[in-house]
Amino acid sequence: MFSGFLIEILRSAIESIKANKLRALLTTLGIVIGVMTVIGVMSVISGFKQYMATSFSQLGANVLYVSKYPWGFGMSREEWKKIQKRDNIGLREAEALEEYGASFKYVSPSILRNMKMERGDKEAEEVKIEGVSEDFSRIINQDVSLGRFLSKDDIKFKRHVCVLGQDVVEVLFPEENPIGKKVKIQGRQFNVIGILEERGEMMGQSMDNTAMIPYTTMTAFTGKRSTINIAVYAEGGEETEEEIRWILRGVRDLKPDEEDDFSINSSEALISQFNQMTSTFLMISIAIAAISLVVGGIGIMNIMLVSVSERTREIGVRKAIGAKSGEILGQFLMESVVICLFGGFLGIILGASLTKLISLMSNGNVPFHIPIWSIFLGFGFCFTIGVFFGFYPARKASKLSPVEALRYE
Amino acid sequence: MSELIKMKDITKVYPLGETEVPALRGVDISIKKGEFISIIGPSGSGKSTLMHIIGCLDIATSGSYFLRGKDVNKMDGNQLADIRKEFIGFIFQDFYLLPDVPAWYNVSLPMIYDRIPPKERKEKAVSILKSVGLGDRVNHLPNQLSGGERQRVATARALANEPEIIIADEPTGNLDSVRGEEILNILSDLHEKGKTIIIVSHEKYVAERGKRKIYLKDGRVEKKSKK
Repeated sequence: MFSGFLIEILRSAIESIKANKLRALLTTLGIVIGVMTVIGVMSVISGFKQYMATSFSQLGANVLYVSKYPWGFGMSREEWKKIQKRDNIGLREAEALEEYGASFKYVSPSILRNMKMERGDKEAEEVKIEGVSEDFSRIINQDVSLGRFLSKDDIKFKRHVCVLGQDVVEVLFPEENPIGKKVKIQGRQFNVIGILEERGEMMGQSMDNTAMIPYTTMTAFTGKRSTINIAVYAEGGEETEEEIRWILRGVRDLKPDEEDDFSINSSEALISQFNQMTSTFLMISIAIAAISLVVGGIGIMNIMLVSVSERTREIGVRKAIGAKSGEILGQFLMESVVICLFGGFLGIILGASLTKLISLMSNGNVPFHIPIWSIFLGFGFCFTIGVFFGFYPARKASKLSPVEALRYE
Repeated sequence: MSELIKMKDITKVYPLGETEVPALRGVDISIKKGEFISIIGPSGSGKSTLMHIIGCLDIATSGSYFLRGKDVNKMDGNQLADIRKEFIGFIFQDFYLLPDVPAWYNVSLPMIYDRIPPKERKEKAVSILKSVGLGDRVNHLPNQLSGGERQRVATARALANEPEIIIADEPTGNLDSVRGEEILNILSDLHEKGKTIIIVSHEKYVAERGKRKIYLKDGRVEKKSKK
């Protein structure tokens, strides 16, 4: 029986809103904007997080990169200057890690250059050539799909051999098996010994426009002085990181009071740094949304006060025919909640459209993803605001004396 | 027949700024079930105030009021609302219909508060409208109806919860005499069927309908004999 009454006051709320459509729409605008902000921001962040997580996972889980430069965002100019003055990281450090490392098995230098590859009249520009050791394939968990990976002897004898990424194969060997064929890197001849498994994209860039050669051969291109990265497969987590630190501090002769002059990077650390950044952003947008929701709520309160005073006579009639104070309260509370939920609904639709737009503009790099809980949150907020800001006007309506309400002109 | 309404020494005082304005100065009334009463008096005599108190819309400042043997002065707002819902139907001078909903919905309004299911509500509203001769106006909005028709809708609404008492406050005040007669005929009909009718009016031809008249003057009942 009581649910029948709820339906009745819901119906009466909808009727009364329908009678003042424009007014209800304008009133609810603050709520619409607030919810739109929440939904839009949360969806974009959640989509972006997903995107970053899949992107960074391309770097390999449990892989630490020892580098001169730290990965990440938001560094000051002073910090950069200091980092630029650091000594380069060289093969000496890689050898030390290989020799002294106890908690990790695989270590490989990773020397990167973008270079041109040729085969006959075919050319591949800007190929990411990576000088690595025979362990590198295990570290980043990327096998060969054809042929073999670099071997210990390839490294030891500085052989001119290479393993090609899919993109390079497509350009240089569109219709042949490349294994055993010859290619030129920066004018020098290399034997193709294998083809890497496909890896896809990271941050909108193909990870397959690559070729791997022995790092010992790579130094012929780069010289022995330039800085390198060292990739370590670290299952041991923080313990491994700590071990790497002490080995590097030792080999670089750092005194106890000196700071580390190298960086140990990982995709996990990058993701968590990113998450920290987005959570700040999230807090700011929640604050903006909260402000517009409160402003919207005050608007609701205002319009409900107007509505109560416009319908004083109606309240009088309802009371005269037997409505209790609680029933009048319920009716007006329902009306303000319905207006708010309607605003929330519009806000969710607009927020979702906004997210879709951003997703389209980013060419799908930011996936269209609306977290379900953000929708619940949006509606929850609206309901709370409807009740909170609708309560005072509704109470005012319910407290009216029947006689005075009937006399009201 | 038992006494439906029994009032003793009822007073009502309205505060007006720092002074107080007495509207009723000690009224004794008793009304039996099935009576047809006219309350008559010049404006300012306190008839509206008396009607509000009889109808449980307002509470007396002092005195005692027993309705069906129950002490109204001791009731809270919700109990008064229940009394109005179950035992009293009001007809007002200005009809007081909700403008945005059709006639049948206006009639069904009291049943909402009586928690009657929607389907039953509509059926009953339509049948009451038929009984007051508005079977073809069920879905009309109040502004599509004439004044007489609106007052008949309002009368139908007063009947929705099958109250024992119908209180009509100047029911013909906004109608011409022909439409006014129509409403009075309906009220007479209801009296025939056993309802207790109380009409408040200052118009003679309206007051004449009552089987018993109560004259009010300056907040007191005038002890006048018949006519």
